[in-house]
Amino acid sequence: MNRRIAIRNMALILGSAAVLPSCLHDNKGKPVVELKYLKLNGEQENLVSNLAETILPKTNTPGAKDLGINLFVFKMIDDCFDQKGQDEFMAGLKEFGDVVDKKYGKSFNELTAAERTAFANDIEKQSKDPNNKDKDAKATGFYWTVKGQTVFGYTTSKYFMTEQIIYELVPGRYNAMFPVKKKAAV
Amino acid sequence: MSTNTYDAIVIGSGISGGWAAKELSEKGLKTIMLERGRNIEHIKDYVNANKGPWEFEHRGGRTQKMIEDYPVLKRDYPLNETNLDYWVDEKESPYTEIKRFDWFRGYHVGGRSLMWGRQSYRWHETDFEANAKDGVGVDWPIRYKDLEKWYSYAEKFAGISGNRDGVPILPDGDFMPPMDMNIVEKDVQKRFKDFYKDSRHFVIGRTANITVPHNNRTNCQYRNKCWLGCPFGAYFSTQSATLPAAMATGNLTVRPWSIVTRILYDKDTKKAKGVEIIDAETNKTYEYYAKVIFVNASALNSAWVLMNSATDVWEGGLGSSSGELGHNVMDHHLGVGAGGRIEGFEDKYYFGRRANGIYIPRYRNLNGEKRDYIRGFGYQGSGSRSNWSRDIAEMSIGAGFKDALSEPGSWGFGMGGFGETLPYHDNKITLDKTKKDKWGLPILAFDVEVKENEKKMRVDMMNDAVEMLTKAGVKDVKGYTSDGILGRGIHEMGTARMGRDPKTSVLNEWNQVWDAKNVFVTDGAAMASSACQNPSLTYMALTARAADYAVDQLKKGTL
Repeated sequence: MNRRIAIRNMALILGSAAVLPSCLHDNKGKPVVELKYLKLNGEQENLVSNLAETILPKTNTPGAKDLGINLFVFKMIDDCFDQKGQDEFMAGLKEFGDVVDKKYGKSFNELTAAERTAFANDIEKQSKDPNNKDKDAKATGFYWTVKGQTVFGYTTSKYFMTEQIIYELVPGRYNAMFPVKKKAAV
Repeated sequence: MSTNTYDAIVIGSGISGGWAAKELSEKGLKTIMLERGRNIEHIKDYVNANKGPWEFEHRGGRTQKMIEDYPVLKRDYPLNETNLDYWVDEKESPYTEIKRFDWFRGYHVGGRSLMWGRQSYRWHETDFEANAKDGVGVDWPIRYKDLEKWYSYAEKFAGISGNRDGVPILPDGDFMPPMDMNIVEKDVQKRFKDFYKDSRHFVIGRTANITVPHNNRTNCQYRNKCWLGCPFGAYFSTQSATLPAAMATGNLTVRPWSIVTRILYDKDTKKAKGVEIIDAETNKTYEYYAKVIFVNASALNSAWVLMNSATDVWEGGLGSSSGELGHNVMDHHLGVGAGGRIEGFEDKYYFGRRANGIYIPRYRNLNGEKRDYIRGFGYQGSGSRSNWSRDIAEMSIGAGFKDALSEPGSWGFGMGGFGETLPYHDNKITLDKTKKDKWGLPILAFDVEVKENEKKMRVDMMNDAVEMLTKAGVKDVKGYTSDGILGRGIHEMGTARMGRDPKTSVLNEWNQVWDAKNVFVTDGAAMASSACQNPSLTYMALTARAADYAVDQLKKGTL
């Protein structure tokens, strides 16, 4: 079975917010998405996917992987980042992996969900701390790139725009003072 | 009579070309409209107009391939995934930059009327008098009263929504009902008014989006997807408005893929007899003949057509006798303003996407005020609520963060200035005969820059924006400015200016080329000054006025 997905079909996948088959995730080090410029092995690909899922996890609503947001992240970096941006992404990815290895003695992909969350939170705190923000700068840059693209992909996904917020293609009117009903407490 | 003979030829199909075609054909002239690019059929060819944001592969963003293919467009917001095919192919049609100039073009039927910003403001008497008072450039050969009824005529047909604000510097027009300000804009407006009283004004934008049904067009549906083409025909474009009216007369022929290479001048009659075109698809050359020619190729390309129409009589091109053809390039300088955060109103939002904002008309150098520069600027802005801005430490990732993304974020308010640029003889375009486009035609070379007056004005444009927003209660106001590179206002003007004297201007008071009276130029090229208002409404009015005059003169046998 050919597990490689042609990246050009991504719009379709993302558009339909399909739940991806689990056999997509290959842990043997073979990449599953076809990219033009980025050279990712399966391990690295999973790291990015797991990070995206850590940022937007599956709850009673779909998470980043369910919605294919991880694939969107790859596509954006592959198509829209210039050489320098891609080099920084790759260098950051490596450093990110190394920092995790050093701290936990195992890879990010081997961490539990709770450990991944704790680690991501550490990076958030560290990069907001003016005394500490230069530490692991490449890894931090990589983290914010993945987070930015993940959030962008999620908030522009069909699922989000039609089921989480009210997006109407044809609003038909402008209500200049629309009351906000708070959703259940976050 | 040859099949290539018409009563009138219109070069270009954008805002002013569409108007020329409508007016001339409605007055009974057999008219051909020549468009250099492809046809775009109303509704049918708006291929992305009904897509959701998620249906774009990169969600509207720009890829490295796009950045490579569009070295000019990439310099500002127009390079995007959603309407990429409305922008000129830069590899086919390059230009030379002696100095940087950001030229954003649309080569297709409808031109930039499909992508325009739609803000529509009348000029004021002050604007027409300014050159004479300041001793800058040449005096406008017309005044507000000459254009007033044509503004009204243009507004009624195009459909401009706006409020009759009674602001002296911003004459009211024949408007459709205005769009609403949202609650934050109303609040800012109130504080603004409390502080500035009647010395400055804060009004809802006047936009060429119809708010009630009009001429078989559906009123605005608040999609804010105008620049993809509107399936409802809710904003003014050639396709939605002037073209159907012109076609209904049975007098109009539209010929896409027709690059006008030169106007054919007859030195015996001292008039133009027609034009030569290259068919952009077949590279074959054809000639078309007519009694009257309207040049509406957009300011810089209209000048190109005239410059490329050199003869042994006019070596610098048709209309070159004054030495002003291609000179006095103007645009509005922008990229300067301020923005900030709005506190409160967490329980309020708005529904629908309004393709309009607020407007602060010019207030500087009026009523006796004298700054260290002349003329002035206006602002466009809006208050809005971001979709997500949750970046609270406890909630920056994970389940809570994911849920927080679907709650509205904080309110903000921002605005940017549009500044008047003076007509400088030094700011010019010329033919670069060392380089050719895809069709072997010489390309334009740009030697245009902002000068001292604009640079001084920009200091006020930022500082005033900061001050006004602060006075109006906006928090954490930050100003911004930039180099003010011209072109990115996408309001090119001035390259074949109107005037009172053939020695210093290219066109007379009726937009006729002094050197060939049956050639009319009624797009941005005709402008003797730029004012600071968005100019398209003025082109519509000038075009309708000139067409009326042309037909009248034809009837009298004087053309």
